Amino acid sequence: MTEGDPGSGASAAGPRVGETVERFELERAWLVDPVSGREGPGEIVVTDGILESVVWLEGDEAAGVTDAGVVVAPGLFDLHAHFREPGFEDAETVATGSAAAAHGGFTTVALMPNTSPAADDPSVVERIRSAARASGSPVEVLVYGAVSAGRAGEQLSAMGELADAGVLGYSDDGAPVRTAGLLRSALLYAGMLGLPIVEHAEDPELTAGAEANEGYVASVLGLAGWPTAGEVNAVARDLAVLADALGDQPAARLHLTHVSTAAALDLVRRARAAGLPVTCDVTPHHLAFTDEWLAGARRWAWEALGADGSPRDPWADGVLTAVPYNTSLRVNPPLRTAADAAACLAALIDGTADAVATDHAPHTVVDKEVEFGQAASGISGIETALGILLSLVDAGRLPLARAVAALTTGPASVAAASARTAGMPAARPRGLIEGAPADLVVFDRSDNWRVATESLRSRGKNSPLIGRELPGRVLVTIASGRLAYADPDAGSE
Amino acid sequence: MATVAPAAVHSPATAWHHRHLIDVDVITWPEIELIMRTTEEMKGILARPIRKVPALNGRRVTTLFYEASTRTRVSFETAARNLSADVVSISTATSSVTKGESLVDTVRTLEALGAEILVMRHSVSGAPYLAAEVFGGHVLNGGDGWHAHPTQALLDLFTMRENLPGGDLRGRKVVIVGDILHSRVARSNIWTLTAAGADLWLCGPATLLRGMDRWAAAWSGGAIPGHGRFNVTSDIAAALRDADVVMGLRIQRERMQSGLLPSLREYAAMFQLNAERVSLAKPDAIVMHPGPMNEGVEISPDVAVSGRSVITDQVSNGVAVRMALMYLLAGAHEAAHGEVVR
Repeated sequence: MTEGDPGSGASAAGPRVGETVERFELERAWLVDPVSGREGPGEIVVTDGILESVVWLEGDEAAGVTDAGVVVAPGLFDLHAHFREPGFEDAETVATGSAAAAHGGFTTVALMPNTSPAADDPSVVERIRSAARASGSPVEVLVYGAVSAGRAGEQLSAMGELADAGVLGYSDDGAPVRTAGLLRSALLYAGMLGLPIVEHAEDPELTAGAEANEGYVASVLGLAGWPTAGEVNAVARDLAVLADALGDQPAARLHLTHVSTAAALDLVRRARAAGLPVTCDVTPHHLAFTDEWLAGARRWAWEALGADGSPRDPWADGVLTAVPYNTSLRVNPPLRTAADAAACLAALIDGTADAVATDHAPHTVVDKEVEFGQAASGISGIETALGILLSLVDAGRLPLARAVAALTTGPASVAAASARTAGMPAARPRGLIEGAPADLVVFDRSDNWRVATESLRSRGKNSPLIGRELPGRVLVTIASGRLAYADPDAGSE
Repeated sequence: MATVAPAAVHSPATAWHHRHLIDVDVITWPEIELIMRTTEEMKGILARPIRKVPALNGRRVTTLFYEASTRTRVSFETAARNLSADVVSISTATSSVTKGESLVDTVRTLEALGAEILVMRHSVSGAPYLAAEVFGGHVLNGGDGWHAHPTQALLDLFTMRENLPGGDLRGRKVVIVGDILHSRVARSNIWTLTAAGADLWLCGPATLLRGMDRWAAAWSGGAIPGHGRFNVTSDIAAALRDADVVMGLRIQRERMQSGLLPSLREYAAMFQLNAERVSLAKPDAIVMHPGPMNEGVEISPDVAVSGRSVITDQVSNGVAVRMALMYLLAGAHEAAHGEVVR
């Protein structure tokens, strides 16, 4: 968009990021509405920021429109991201993170409080909000408060004041709530306030010094193992404490984030069957990558699964094509086996997992271009989440509607599960609703895009997908009626 | 001075084409044979009155050790000097945990200072792959974390072949006893010895074998081309019975502090390679140890110096193997330079 150049097609430039979308029409696209459960050929019109009309096409009008082309879905909602501000602005800011989110199709993000200082009192929350306003991005930025003061695991944060400041819940993410006793207090107190505790389930006694999922790959590579028991033990603790707390405070709510093992998901499945108010999410990277990537394999998790449900052997298969020990793969919890990835997918499909959340964790080159065991943990993933889920759809492993629901109605249902958050705009029905402010993403399943340091809007270039192509180029993201992202090449044809 | 020109090096079928040597996992059996033949040539040089050849005259070898190891460093530097290379030696007491200069910056600096072959020892598994990504020359791994110690595995193989009748490992029972979990020596030996067709046994307390059973199970079906099954056990008698080769590994005091062993005394009582246990092996079995030894812990002093011990052979063969590898790497065809670092 060249300013002051009348010959350059200024009309095609349209609105800028942050501006209300005055007019946006899409004819003959594939619409996915996870609220009504309907998907099919249709047309949408946005006028003055409002989704004015949603028309489902029938018969001849619908001919030739398939779900393999341009798709319209509600704006995506990420329950778990790190935008690093305040304190680590070299890695990400609220502005760059919001731009990355919009590029990934997200219109709502919930930020973890492990900033510096931690978001353990309302002033930090307000600082993050003001950064969001200043960014000009319409992406809605929600904030979790810390469970404990300074995330130190010793005493509760200013939970009541944080609730008044509008936090979405509380988490000491990056680490679990340190003790079962503090977790019990936090569940009771947060329950009183109508908010959930969001737990990073890890037993640090079992994961001290860990570098990779304990198993065959870590054994061959000589990496210290992060055992399944490290997650199972923590989830079991959390569920036991929740069950106990409910006796005193029926409104106590627990959300387990980035659950990564088959065994821990089984515990969640049983707890839900028993009626415990627990929700959980899984990440795109635990669905798509496995520990064999550390050895240099680059096949999707579902391609690494043997016929008997156990992981295939990357050495036997001769698929080690990349340099091993790539630090962009260092993440906590670690990449697991193909069987665990399959369990994450099964949990998503059977509803044990409510949502896919990115755990977008940008890091600087300084923190990642080091020895594997010394590298910071985390994957920059908010821009690749949709593409990963669409890869699962392309592979026939996940219906398109379920992929969209995992990123829209799924996270909204988690927000709706606690009394106070149920009243927040974030918990609204995320469908294609006529007359509501337009909040949607348009992507093209027939158009791949290349993940590259230049194509990522995030400051964190720590993606294992750098150099690869993903399906589903995002064309437009509209958040609350305002433009959040427009593909720079769109409209130039 | 005589020149060194092993005939095998010039055979097109077995030409060396690896730019780096970080682990033996990517080395084929014909390439191992090439290394063995080249080592033989180097040993011939070491037997001469003047143990120096101009093969790497003017080439620059830098040793970069992030972990204290006088003997390994001296072995590499002796090897480099025997080939007439210029040697620069850098030891750094600590890793980048203390946030000094990063590994990547250090390697770039060393390259700018003219390093052509970088011999690297590091406490973090995988570190040499990172170095190789930014280094324009050749990386020769002198041991990384728990992961790999390829020159040790190759000198072990050479020493075994030298000392076993017929020089063939096929069907020979090789037992490695000790702290397998934390051992890069054991890991590299798994690759070379299974490739050699040995009947490999790994033995130690259960806490120091952790995870190895999963590796053994993965290979039990013979799925890996060129590599065979191996055994993992805590039954020292079963492991040693009728063994052809018995290798002890160092047991470190830290293992007790981290709760993996009750005491060194108990380890010695249950697993020490002493005369009585070693007598379970074949009468002509050889005893090996990569050093440094804790005599009285993993090996008894009498076994360490017995007629069966080839531990000093390992040390002298180590120089020859390292000469061979530097020679091969330095001669690696330029075309290999564009390849992925593995």
